Amino acid sequence: MYDGFIEFAVSQGVPLSTVTLTLMLPIVVTIIAFFRQVIGIKAFGIYTPALVTFAFLAIGLEADSISKGAQYGFTIFVTVIAIGTLVRIVLKKFRLLYLPRVAIMITIVSLSTLAMLIAGGLLQRTGLASVSIFPILIMIMLVEKFVSTQIEKGARTAIILSTETLIISLICYFSVSWSVLVAFIQTYPWIVLFTIIINIILGKWTGLRLSEYFRFKEITKYAEPSHKK
Amino acid sequence: MLSLLTKSRNILGMNARNLKYIRPYNLKPAKRLADDKMRSKRVLRKSGIPVPKLIGKIRSRGELDNFDFASLPNSFVLKPNYGFGGEGIVIVYGRKKKVNNTWIKADRSVVAEDDLKTHVRNILDGSFSRMNIPDFAFFEERIQLLKLFKPYTFKGIPDIRVIVFNKIPVMAMLRLPTEASGGTSNVHNGGIAVGIDMATGVTTSATQYNRVIEYVPKKRLLLSGIKIPFWQDILELAVKAQDVSGLGYLGADIAIDRERGPVFMEINARPGLAIQNANQDGLLGRLKRVEGLKIKTTARAVAIAQSLFGGEIEEGIEDISGKKIIGAVEKIKFIDKNKKEFEIEAKIDTGAYSTSIDTELAKRIGFEKTIDDFNQINLSEYKFIPGDGEKIEADFMEKYGKKLKKLENAAVVFSSSGSSLRPVVKTVFVMDKEKVVSRVNIIDRSDLKYPMIIGRKDLKKFLVEVSKK
Repeated sequence: MYDGFIEFAVSQGVPLSTVTLTLMLPIVVTIIAFFRQVIGIKAFGIYTPALVTFAFLAIGLEADSISKGAQYGFTIFVTVIAIGTLVRIVLKKFRLLYLPRVAIMITIVSLSTLAMLIAGGLLQRTGLASVSIFPILIMIMLVEKFVSTQIEKGARTAIILSTETLIISLICYFSVSWSVLVAFIQTYPWIVLFTIIINIILGKWTGLRLSEYFRFKEITKYAEPSHKK
Repeated sequence: MLSLLTKSRNILGMNARNLKYIRPYNLKPAKRLADDKMRSKRVLRKSGIPVPKLIGKIRSRGELDNFDFASLPNSFVLKPNYGFGGEGIVIVYGRKKKVNNTWIKADRSVVAEDDLKTHVRNILDGSFSRMNIPDFAFFEERIQLLKLFKPYTFKGIPDIRVIVFNKIPVMAMLRLPTEASGGTSNVHNGGIAVGIDMATGVTTSATQYNRVIEYVPKKRLLLSGIKIPFWQDILELAVKAQDVSGLGYLGADIAIDRERGPVFMEINARPGLAIQNANQDGLLGRLKRVEGLKIKTTARAVAIAQSLFGGEIEEGIEDISGKKIIGAVEKIKFIDKNKKEFEIEAKIDTGAYSTSIDTELAKRIGFEKTIDDFNQINLSEYKFIPGDGEKIEADFMEKYGKKLKKLENAAVVFSSSGSSLRPVVKTVFVMDKEKVVSRVNIIDRSDLKYPMIIGRKDLKKFLVEVSKK
């Protein structure tokens, strides 16, 4: 059933899940690139949504349920951002320098996340309580991205970008957990190289992004189809 | 959907901006110059472009410790050198009385020396720079708000963004700080972007948060029709700055100081796209039109910009209404009695109902006999009482209508200079290429500046724009 390459990798001691996830990464980043260039959803660059997707995947694998991966991932994501915002508002008054401020923020966010995991255990959500450290660390690191965006571009942009990151990560998560796609990649792993061609096309794409049709709605609404001179 | 696609053909999107314009035309050294505010200021100043005066700079913590804040003037601007998007800028307007080294910001909040020091430390740490690289801070002269802009501006200083490509200014907008933008002219944070007609420097349409608005928020103050002073100079500065900076696709930011006039604020290597909404026109269409043109002088570049991208307001309205736009004084063509074309200037008077022409002009276009005959008639039998106008006209026409050649009617005109009975004749004239058949009354206008005034009756096909010349 599996491609010879995958069988070989597994026989050398690489876990099947690791092989599959690694092969999924090019697909995830291609989806993110597509969303940026064609749809116009920015999110926090390409690493953050890719990492968050893998955090979701890790949670899902551990809970052994795709929907729980999304559910718990979503909960941790929103908590981290919400607490990050609160802490930022409180810390603003103290006029601290950037790194110490982020350090305090990460401290408080990680403690809150821990509290949430324990609360999950108390509420019999054992899946939430047993989330491993890797996805939690990724989510906490999100705070730094969030805070620096808040400082540079304002709270509104930071919240928009976080929401976009969450949406893209969820889309990527559901795409790469789709059993048909997983089986397909396991059978034809070389198809992953096809993403390079897609990305070359995306990299040369100069058309308007879908979001820009809305952004420039006012122009298309009033402007005559150019006929001047 | 198809119509949406054709309409959006001229819009410049992020992808095209980056790939087709910024990448090939803004090369690394030029981009680095643009990002380094102090160096770009120096380069601009050296080539004779006015920039805000530098007051002081702090490049390290050591320099910060030794910096004499008491030496700062009453008003200044503190900026991060590698800052972008207007972040990290502190503007103070005056010193607080009786307190040492304390200044007041636009929102009346107080900034003490310690606050400035913390802010400078944040700047040095790179909190406001691209990629958070270590930065340095500098102080510069604060631009004084122009009286003209005062009612439109919430705190802050408005500036003018001009996009220059291939030496030609292609599009411009006026950016007005608002309450929402916290006194910065950043259009992403709620500043108002006002489109500018390239030919005249008059504002056209405006947007806030990418939506069209007509008035200054909370005020009945129209955003269109503002005449930007020094327009020609501003365009020339923008073209010059492109030459100096080496940025092929440049966003030039120019403010107007109350005393110094246009002052160059910044060169921008990645100018935003919101300018298109403000002008309700796409950049891509304009960029394509100037691509490959060979431009020799600044004056030529400005002239091309003005003729290519100007007059959009008028054409737009003319297209929609089907009416021609005329000014307060227009050139009128007549045919004289020898069938020769000649031109006079007429005043457009929307306060008058009908059109009047001077006796001499009437004679020239062939009504000499009519006028002579009319002058023979003794009009003393008529008493001009308001309300009797029509009765008098009817009576006159009954008595003399047939006897006077080419007479169409008679008109009783009550005006501030006295009332009179005037002969009315039918004539044809051409205004702004539009043929007008009119019944005009004849009166001696030899002591007036214009031999003709055109009243409402003949203005139905026109819109009057008083600022048009």
